[in-house]
Amino acid sequence: MRALLAVLIALPSTGLPILHAQTDYYARLGATYTTKLLRDVIFQEIHVRQSVAPTLVLGGSLPITPIYRAGLEASLTSSGYHSTEGVTETDLGTLRTGSALLNLEGPVGHRASWRAGVGLIRYLPAEDSGIFVRGGTTRFLAGAGLDYRPSLSTRWELMVSLRYDFHRFTTEELTARGFTGQQGVQRISASLGVARARARP
Amino acid sequence: MKLVHALPILPILIAAAGLSCADIASPTRSDAYEWRLITPTGPGTADTLSFHWPSSRLPVKVWAQDTLNLPVHTKDGIAQWKASFLYGEFDAVMVSDSNVADVMVSAGQAIKGGFSVTRLESMLAPECEGGTDFDLPVGSREIQPPIRIFLNLRVVPTAPGVEQCLALTTTHELGHAIGIFAHSPVATDLMYPDPTVAVPSDRDRTTAELVYHTEPTLTVGPR
Repeated sequence: MRALLAVLIALPSTGLPILHAQTDYYARLGATYTTKLLRDVIFQEIHVRQSVAPTLVLGGSLPITPIYRAGLEASLTSSGYHSTEGVTETDLGTLRTGSALLNLEGPVGHRASWRAGVGLIRYLPAEDSGIFVRGGTTRFLAGAGLDYRPSLSTRWELMVSLRYDFHRFTTEELTARGFTGQQGVQRISASLGVARARARP
Repeated sequence: MKLVHALPILPILIAAAGLSCADIASPTRSDAYEWRLITPTGPGTADTLSFHWPSSRLPVKVWAQDTLNLPVHTKDGIAQWKASFLYGEFDAVMVSDSNVADVMVSAGQAIKGGFSVTRLESMLAPECEGGTDFDLPVGSREIQPPIRIFLNLRVVPTAPGVEQCLALTTTHELGHAIGIFAHSPVATDLMYPDPTVAVPSDRDRTTAELVYHTEPTLTVGPR
Protein backbone atom coordinates (compact mmCIF):
# COMPACT_ATOMS: atom_id res chain seq x y z
CA MET A 1 0.00 0.00 0.00
CA ARG A 2 2.84 2.37 0.86
CA ALA A 3 4.56 1.53 -2.43
CA LEU A 4 1.45 2.37 -4.41
CA LEU A 5 1.05 5.63 -2.51
CA ALA A 6 4.66 6.51 -3.22
CA VAL A 7 4.11 5.83 -6.91
CA LEU A 8 0.97 7.96 -6.97
CA ILE A 9 2.75 10.85 -5.28
CA ALA A 10 5.85 10.57 -7.40
CA LEU A 11 4.15 10.23 -10.77
CA PRO A 12 3.50 13.90 -11.50
CA SER A 13 7.21 14.64 -11.36
CA THR A 14 8.57 11.56 -13.06
CA GLY A 15 8.25 12.81 -16.58
CA LEU A 16 6.22 9.85 -17.74
CA PRO A 17 3.67 11.82 -19.69
CA ILE A 18 1.52 8.91 -20.81
CA LEU A 19 1.21 7.36 -17.41
CA HIS A 20 0.76 10.77 -15.89
CA ALA A 21 -2.13 11.44 -18.23
CA GLN A 22 -3.79 8.22 -17.11
CA THR A 23 -3.28 8.82 -13.41
CA ASP A 24 -6.43 9.73 -11.60
CA TYR A 25 -6.64 12.07 -8.61
CA TYR A 26 -9.72 13.20 -6.74
CA ALA A 27 -10.97 14.85 -3.59
CA ARG A 28 -14.49 14.74 -2.18
CA LEU A 29 -16.52 15.92 0.79
CA GLY A 30 -19.53 14.09 2.11
CA ALA A 31 -21.18 12.38 5.02
CA THR A 32 -20.89 8.91 6.52
CA TYR A 33 -23.54 6.96 8.38
CA THR A 34 -22.29 4.20 10.67
CA THR A 35 -24.28 1.38 12.23
CA LYS A 36 -23.85 0.67 15.94
CA LEU A 37 -20.34 0.11 17.25
CA LEU A 38 -21.44 -1.88 20.24
CA ARG A 39 -24.42 -3.56 21.83
CA ASP A 40 -24.24 -4.32 25.53
CA VAL A 41 -26.75 -5.39 28.13
CA ILE A 42 -26.60 -4.17 31.75
CA PHE A 43 -30.18 -4.91 32.83
CA GLN A 44 -31.29 -3.22 29.60
CA GLU A 45 -29.77 -2.78 26.18
CA ILE A 46 -27.07 -0.19 25.60
CA HIS A 47 -25.98 0.83 22.12
CA VAL A 48 -22.96 2.90 21.20
CA ARG A 49 -23.15 4.78 17.90
CA GLN A 50 -21.13 7.32 16.01
CA SER A 51 -23.19 10.23 14.70
CA VAL A 52 -23.42 10.97 10.98
CA ALA A 53 -19.93 12.25 10.25
CA PRO A 54 -18.60 14.86 7.85
CA THR A 55 -16.18 13.05 5.59
CA LEU A 56 -13.13 14.03 3.56
CA VAL A 57 -11.96 11.62 0.87
CA LEU A 58 -8.73 11.75 -1.11
CA GLY A 59 -7.67 9.20 -3.65
CA GLY A 60 -5.95 8.25 -6.80
CA SER A 61 -5.64 5.34 -9.22
CA LEU A 62 -3.55 3.95 -12.03
CA PRO A 63 -4.54 1.76 -14.98
CA ILE A 64 -3.43 -1.85 -14.59
CA THR A 65 -5.20 -3.21 -17.69
CA PRO A 66 -7.11 -1.51 -20.47
CA ILE A 67 -10.28 -2.00 -18.39
CA TYR A 68 -9.32 -2.07 -14.72
CA ARG A 69 -7.52 0.39 -12.50
CA ALA A 70 -5.92 0.03 -9.08
CA GLY A 71 -6.15 2.82 -6.60
CA LEU A 72 -5.77 4.00 -3.07
CA GLU A 73 -8.55 5.90 -1.33
CA ALA A 74 -8.18 7.50 2.09
CA SER A 75 -11.01 8.96 4.09
CA LEU A 76 -11.27 10.89 7.33
CA THR A 77 -14.43 11.26 9.40
CA SER A 78 -15.04 13.22 12.57
CA SER A 79 -18.18 13.36 14.69
CA GLY A 80 -19.53 12.75 18.15
CA TYR A 81 -20.38 9.33 19.50
CA HIS A 82 -22.87 8.46 22.15
CA SER A 83 -24.44 5.66 24.13
CA THR A 84 -28.17 5.04 24.27
CA GLU A 85 -29.87 3.18 27.11
CA GLY A 86 -33.65 3.28 26.92
CA VAL A 87 -34.48 6.94 26.39
CA THR A 88 -31.22 8.15 27.92
CA GLU A 89 -28.53 9.30 25.53
CA THR A 90 -25.04 10.07 26.84
CA ASP A 91 -22.50 12.06 24.86
CA LEU A 92 -19.20 10.20 24.88
CA GLY A 93 -17.10 12.80 23.10
CA THR A 94 -15.55 13.08 19.67
CA LEU A 95 -14.53 10.13 17.55
CA ARG A 96 -12.47 10.38 14.37
CA THR A 97 -11.75 7.59 11.95
CA GLY A 98 -9.11 7.36 9.28
CA SER A 99 -9.32 4.65 6.67
CA ALA A 100 -7.40 3.56 3.63
CA LEU A 101 -8.67 1.18 0.96
CA LEU A 102 -6.68 -0.43 -1.81
CA ASN A 103 -9.20 -0.60 -4.62
CA LEU A 104 -9.82 -2.35 -7.88
CA GLU A 105 -11.89 -0.22 -10.22
CA GLY A 106 -13.82 -1.04 -13.36
CA PRO A 107 -16.34 0.59 -15.66
CA VAL A 108 -20.11 0.28 -15.40
CA GLY A 109 -20.98 2.79 -18.10
CA HIS A 110 -19.35 5.66 -19.94
CA ARG A 111 -19.18 7.95 -16.92
CA ALA A 112 -19.81 5.47 -14.13
CA SER A 113 -17.52 3.00 -12.44
CA TRP A 114 -17.51 0.51 -9.59
CA ARG A 115 -14.78 -0.11 -7.11
CA ALA A 116 -14.08 -2.69 -4.43
CA GLY A 117 -11.21 -3.07 -2.08
CA VAL A 118 -9.69 -3.93 1.23
CA GLY A 119 -7.79 -1.88 3.75
CA LEU A 120 -7.66 -0.65 7.30
CA ILE A 121 -9.67 1.66 9.51
CA ARG A 122 -8.23 3.39 12.55
CA TYR A 123 -10.43 4.74 15.35
CA LEU A 124 -9.03 7.92 16.89
CA PRO A 125 -11.01 9.01 19.96
CA ALA A 126 -10.39 12.57 21.16
CA GLU A 127 -10.12 11.25 24.71
CA ASP A 128 -8.95 7.86 25.93
CA SER A 129 -12.00 6.99 27.99
CA GLY A 130 -14.85 4.49 28.16
CA ILE A 131 -14.57 1.79 25.51
CA PHE A 132 -11.42 3.55 24.24
CA VAL A 133 -9.77 3.96 27.65
CA ARG A 134 -6.80 1.90 26.36
CA GLY A 135 -6.66 3.93 23.15
CA GLY A 136 -8.01 3.61 19.62
CA THR A 137 -8.13 0.48 17.56
CA THR A 138 -7.22 -0.54 14.01
CA ARG A 139 -9.44 -2.98 12.12
CA PHE A 140 -9.45 -4.61 8.70
CA LEU A 141 -11.91 -3.03 6.31
CA ALA A 142 -13.57 -4.17 3.10
CA GLY A 143 -15.67 -1.96 0.92
CA ALA A 144 -17.21 -1.24 -2.43
CA GLY A 145 -18.72 1.73 -4.19
CA LEU A 146 -20.00 3.45 -7.25
CA ASP A 147 -18.75 6.66 -8.87
CA TYR A 148 -20.38 8.90 -11.44
CA ARG A 149 -18.15 11.46 -13.11
CA PRO A 150 -19.75 13.92 -15.52
CA SER A 151 -17.36 16.30 -17.22
CA LEU A 152 -16.88 19.82 -15.88
CA SER A 153 -14.16 20.94 -18.26
CA THR A 154 -11.37 19.46 -20.28
CA ARG A 155 -9.29 19.17 -17.12
CA TRP A 156 -11.84 18.42 -14.41
CA GLU A 157 -14.77 16.14 -13.73
CA LEU A 158 -17.45 16.28 -11.08
CA MET A 159 -17.33 13.15 -8.92
CA VAL A 160 -20.43 11.81 -7.19
CA SER A 161 -19.76 8.75 -5.07
CA LEU A 162 -21.55 6.21 -2.94
CA ARG A 163 -19.54 3.95 -0.67
CA TYR A 164 -20.30 0.97 1.49
CA ASP A 165 -17.81 -0.71 3.75
CA PHE A 166 -17.77 -3.01 6.74
CA HIS A 167 -15.46 -4.15 9.47
CA ARG A 168 -15.55 -6.02 12.75
CA PHE A 169 -15.24 -3.73 15.74
CA THR A 170 -13.81 -4.25 19.20
CA THR A 171 -11.28 -2.50 21.41
CA GLU A 172 -8.58 -3.64 23.78
CA GLU A 173 -10.69 -2.44 26.70
CA LEU A 174 -13.76 -4.39 25.57
CA THR A 175 -11.71 -7.55 25.26
CA ALA A 176 -10.23 -6.97 28.72
CA ARG A 177 -13.75 -6.53 30.12
CA GLY A 178 -14.81 -9.93 28.84
CA PHE A 179 -16.62 -9.01 25.64
CA THR A 180 -16.27 -11.80 23.12
CA GLY A 181 -16.50 -11.71 19.34
CA GLN A 182 -16.66 -8.49 17.41
CA GLN A 183 -19.42 -6.17 16.34
CA GLY A 184 -20.17 -6.07 12.63
CA VAL A 185 -20.12 -2.42 11.64
CA GLN A 186 -21.32 -1.13 8.29
CA ARG A 187 -20.75 2.35 6.93
CA ILE A 188 -22.48 4.09 4.06
CA SER A 189 -21.25 7.38 2.70
CA ALA A 190 -22.25 9.79 -0.02
CA SER A 191 -19.85 12.42 -1.25
CA LEU A 192 -19.31 15.01 -3.92
CA GLY A 193 -16.05 16.35 -5.26
CA VAL A 194 -13.81 16.93 -8.20
CA ALA A 195 -11.52 14.62 -10.11
CA ARG A 196 -8.84 15.18 -12.65
CA ALA A 197 -10.25 14.36 -16.10
CA ARG A 198 -8.75 11.19 -17.55
CA ALA A 199 -8.66 9.42 -20.86
CA ARG A 200 -11.36 6.76 -21.11
CA PRO A 201 -11.23 3.45 -22.92
CA MET B 1 -23.15 -1.05 -20.43
CA LYS B 2 -20.22 -3.03 -19.15
CA LEU B 3 -21.89 -4.90 -16.32
CA VAL B 4 -19.72 -7.93 -16.89
CA HIS B 5 -16.77 -5.90 -15.68
CA ALA B 6 -18.57 -5.27 -12.40
CA LEU B 7 -18.62 -8.95 -11.41
CA PRO B 8 -15.60 -8.71 -9.05
CA ILE B 9 -17.66 -6.50 -6.74
CA LEU B 10 -20.12 -9.31 -5.99
CA PRO B 11 -17.90 -11.40 -3.67
CA ILE B 12 -17.27 -8.29 -1.57
CA LEU B 13 -20.97 -7.58 -1.16
CA ILE B 14 -21.80 -11.21 -0.38
CA ALA B 15 -19.03 -11.39 2.22
CA ALA B 16 -20.27 -8.13 3.73
CA ALA B 17 -23.79 -9.44 4.06
CA GLY B 18 -22.54 -12.52 5.86
CA LEU B 19 -20.01 -10.93 8.19
CA SER B 20 -21.67 -7.70 9.12
CA CYS B 21 -24.63 -9.22 10.95
CA ALA B 22 -22.66 -10.51 13.92
CA ASP B 23 -22.99 -8.76 17.28
CA ILE B 24 -20.32 -8.60 19.93
CA ALA B 25 -21.23 -10.66 23.02
CA SER B 26 -21.51 -8.91 26.38
CA PRO B 27 -19.78 -10.25 29.49
CA THR B 28 -22.06 -11.86 32.06
CA ARG B 29 -21.05 -9.50 34.89
CA SER B 30 -21.94 -12.24 37.35
CA ASP B 31 -19.00 -11.52 39.65
CA ALA B 32 -20.42 -8.34 41.16
CA TYR B 33 -20.92 -8.19 44.91
CA GLU B 34 -23.74 -6.64 46.95
CA TRP B 35 -23.21 -2.87 46.93
CA ARG B 36 -26.37 -1.75 48.68
CA LEU B 37 -26.50 -0.97 52.39
CA ILE B 38 -29.17 -3.10 54.01
CA THR B 39 -30.04 -1.65 57.40
CA PRO B 40 -32.38 -3.25 59.93
CA THR B 41 -35.35 -1.04 60.72
CA GLY B 42 -37.06 -3.26 63.28
CA PRO B 43 -37.78 -6.90 64.09
CA GLY B 44 -37.76 -8.76 60.78
CA THR B 45 -37.67 -5.61 58.65
CA ALA B 46 -34.89 -3.90 56.80
CA ASP B 47 -34.29 -0.97 54.49
CA THR B 48 -32.14 -1.16 51.40
CA LEU B 49 -30.18 1.98 50.64
CA SER B 50 -28.65 2.49 47.22
CA PHE B 51 -27.44 5.53 45.40
CA HIS B 52 -25.63 6.77 42.35
CA TRP B 53 -24.93 10.23 41.06
CA PRO B 54 -27.54 11.12 38.44
CA SER B 55 -26.29 12.23 35.03
CA SER B 56 -27.73 15.67 35.69
CA ARG B 57 -25.21 16.13 38.52
CA LEU B 58 -22.15 15.13 36.50
CA PRO B 59 -19.37 15.95 36.72
CA VAL B 60 -19.41 15.55 40.48
CA LYS B 61 -17.44 18.34 42.16
CA VAL B 62 -14.79 17.06 44.54
CA TRP B 63 -12.71 19.16 46.91
CA ALA B 64 -9.67 17.87 48.77
CA GLN B 65 -7.95 19.49 51.71
CA ASP B 66 -4.43 20.57 50.86
CA THR B 67 -2.66 18.29 53.29
CA LEU B 68 -1.13 14.80 53.27
CA ASN B 69 -1.02 14.99 49.47
CA LEU B 70 -4.79 14.47 49.47
CA PRO B 71 -5.45 16.48 46.25
CA VAL B 72 -3.14 14.15 44.31
CA HIS B 73 -4.60 10.99 45.83
CA THR B 74 -8.11 12.26 45.20
CA LYS B 75 -7.40 13.13 41.59
CA ASP B 76 -5.88 9.68 41.02
CA GLY B 77 -8.85 8.02 42.70
CA ILE B 78 -11.32 9.90 40.52
CA ALA B 79 -9.40 8.84 37.40
CA GLN B 80 -9.45 5.20 38.48
CA TRP B 81 -13.18 5.12 39.10
CA LYS B 82 -13.94 7.10 35.96
CA ALA B 83 -11.97 4.53 33.95
CA SER B 84 -14.21 1.83 35.37
CA PHE B 85 -17.15 2.97 33.29
CA LEU B 86 -17.65 2.27 29.59
CA TYR B 87 -20.52 4.63 28.82
CA GLY B 88 -19.81 7.90 30.64
CA GLU B 89 -21.95 6.93 33.62
CA PHE B 90 -19.70 8.76 36.09
CA ASP B 91 -17.46 11.78 35.92
CA ALA B 92 -15.95 14.08 38.52
CA VAL B 93 -13.72 17.12 38.64
CA MET B 94 -11.64 18.72 41.35
CA VAL B 95 -12.79 22.10 42.61
CA SER B 96 -10.84 24.62 44.66
CA ASP B 97 -13.78 25.92 46.70
CA SER B 98 -15.25 23.54 49.28
CA ASN B 99 -18.48 25.56 49.29
CA VAL B 100 -19.45 24.19 45.88
CA ALA B 101 -18.20 20.63 46.47
CA ASP B 102 -20.47 17.59 46.24
CA VAL B 103 -17.77 15.48 47.89
CA MET B 104 -15.19 16.74 50.39
CA VAL B 105 -11.99 14.87 51.22
CA SER B 106 -10.35 15.94 54.47
CA ALA B 107 -7.85 14.75 57.03
CA GLY B 108 -9.24 13.71 60.36
CA GLN B 109 -11.67 11.36 62.09
CA ALA B 110 -15.03 10.67 60.48
CA ILE B 111 -17.93 12.70 61.83
CA LYS B 112 -21.00 10.51 62.01
CA GLY B 113 -24.02 11.86 60.15
CA GLY B 114 -26.99 9.96 58.69
CA PHE B 115 -24.93 6.85 58.11
CA SER B 116 -21.30 6.18 57.46
CA VAL B 117 -19.16 3.52 55.91
CA THR B 118 -15.90 3.31 57.77
CA ARG B 119 -12.72 1.36 57.19
CA LEU B 120 -11.08 0.84 60.55
CA GLU B 121 -8.77 -1.57 62.34
CA SER B 122 -6.79 -2.18 59.20
CA MET B 123 -4.24 -4.95 59.58
CA LEU B 124 -2.84 -4.91 56.07
CA ALA B 125 -2.51 -1.15 55.58
CA PRO B 126 -2.19 -0.02 59.17
CA GLU B 127 -0.69 3.41 58.53
CA CYS B 128 -4.04 5.11 57.94
CA GLU B 129 -7.77 4.71 58.08
CA GLY B 130 -10.70 6.23 56.27
CA GLY B 131 -14.39 6.82 56.50
CA THR B 132 -17.16 8.18 54.33
CA ASP B 133 -20.04 10.01 55.92
CA PHE B 134 -23.44 10.54 54.29
CA ASP B 135 -25.85 13.06 55.73
CA LEU B 136 -29.25 11.38 55.46
CA PRO B 137 -31.83 13.08 57.70
CA VAL B 138 -34.12 10.72 59.62
CA GLY B 139 -37.08 9.71 57.46
CA SER B 140 -35.59 11.28 54.34
CA ARG B 141 -34.58 9.57 51.09
CA GLU B 142 -32.41 12.46 50.02
CA ILE B 143 -28.72 12.62 50.85
CA GLN B 144 -27.63 16.12 51.76
CA PRO B 145 -24.36 17.03 50.07
CA PRO B 146 -21.51 17.23 50.56
CA ILE B 147 -20.58 13.62 51.12
CA ARG B 148 -17.59 13.77 53.47
CA ILE B 149 -14.56 11.53 53.21
CA PHE B 150 -12.07 11.48 56.07
CA LEU B 151 -8.54 10.13 55.98
CA ASN B 152 -6.81 9.69 59.29
CA LEU B 153 -3.17 8.86 59.87
CA ARG B 154 -2.33 6.31 62.56
CA VAL B 155 1.42 6.94 62.32
CA VAL B 156 3.59 9.98 61.74
CA PRO B 157 3.25 11.40 58.20
CA THR B 158 6.86 10.53 57.35
CA ALA B 159 6.50 6.86 58.23
CA PRO B 160 7.05 4.32 55.45
CA GLY B 161 3.92 3.20 53.66
CA VAL B 162 1.87 6.31 54.44
CA GLU B 163 1.58 7.46 50.82
CA GLN B 164 0.48 4.03 49.59
CA CYS B 165 -2.03 3.70 52.43
CA LEU B 166 -3.50 7.15 51.77
CA ALA B 167 -3.68 6.47 48.02
CA LEU B 168 -5.60 3.21 48.28
CA THR B 169 -7.78 4.40 51.16
CA THR B 170 -8.75 7.58 49.28
CA THR B 171 -9.75 5.56 46.22
CA HIS B 172 -11.61 3.07 48.45
CA GLU B 173 -13.56 5.87 50.13
CA LEU B 174 -14.32 7.50 46.78
CA GLY B 175 -15.82 4.14 45.83
CA HIS B 176 -18.30 4.59 48.67
CA ALA B 177 -18.97 8.18 47.60
CA ILE B 178 -19.89 7.10 44.05
CA GLY B 179 -22.42 4.61 45.40
CA ILE B 180 -20.74 1.36 46.46
CA PHE B 181 -22.10 1.50 49.99
CA ALA B 182 -21.19 -2.04 51.02
CA HIS B 183 -17.84 -3.80 51.21
CA SER B 184 -16.67 -6.59 48.97
CA PRO B 185 -16.21 -9.98 50.63
CA VAL B 186 -13.13 -10.69 48.47
CA ALA B 187 -9.74 -9.64 49.81
CA THR B 188 -8.31 -8.83 46.36
CA ASP B 189 -10.92 -6.13 45.74
CA LEU B 190 -10.29 -2.47 46.49
CA MET B 191 -13.67 -2.31 48.20
CA TYR B 192 -12.75 -5.07 50.65
CA PRO B 193 -12.99 -3.68 54.20
CA ASP B 194 -9.24 -3.97 54.63
CA PRO B 195 -7.94 -3.58 51.08
CA THR B 196 -4.39 -4.18 49.96
CA VAL B 197 -4.76 -3.39 46.27
CA ALA B 198 -4.42 0.16 45.00
CA VAL B 199 -6.81 0.09 42.06
CA PRO B 200 -10.35 -1.21 41.49
CA SER B 201 -10.40 -4.88 40.55
CA ASP B 202 -12.49 -6.31 37.71
CA ARG B 203 -15.10 -7.20 40.31
CA ASP B 204 -15.08 -3.65 41.71
CA ARG B 205 -15.53 -2.25 38.21
CA THR B 206 -18.35 -4.63 37.39
CA THR B 207 -20.07 -3.71 40.65
CA ALA B 208 -19.68 0.01 39.91
CA GLU B 209 -21.26 -0.56 36.49
CA LEU B 210 -24.25 -2.29 38.06
CA VAL B 211 -24.62 0.55 40.60
CA TYR B 212 -25.07 3.03 37.75
CA HIS B 213 -27.54 0.88 35.83
CA THR B 214 -29.84 0.21 38.79
CA GLU B 215 -32.58 2.52 40.00
CA PRO B 216 -31.35 3.99 43.32
CA THR B 217 -33.50 4.23 46.43
CA LEU B 218 -31.82 7.48 47.51
CA THR B 219 -31.44 10.78 45.71
CA VAL B 220 -29.04 13.62 46.35
CA GLY B 221 -30.15 17.11 47.32
CA PRO B 222 -29.01 20.37 45.75
CA ARG B 223 -25.71 21.88 46.76
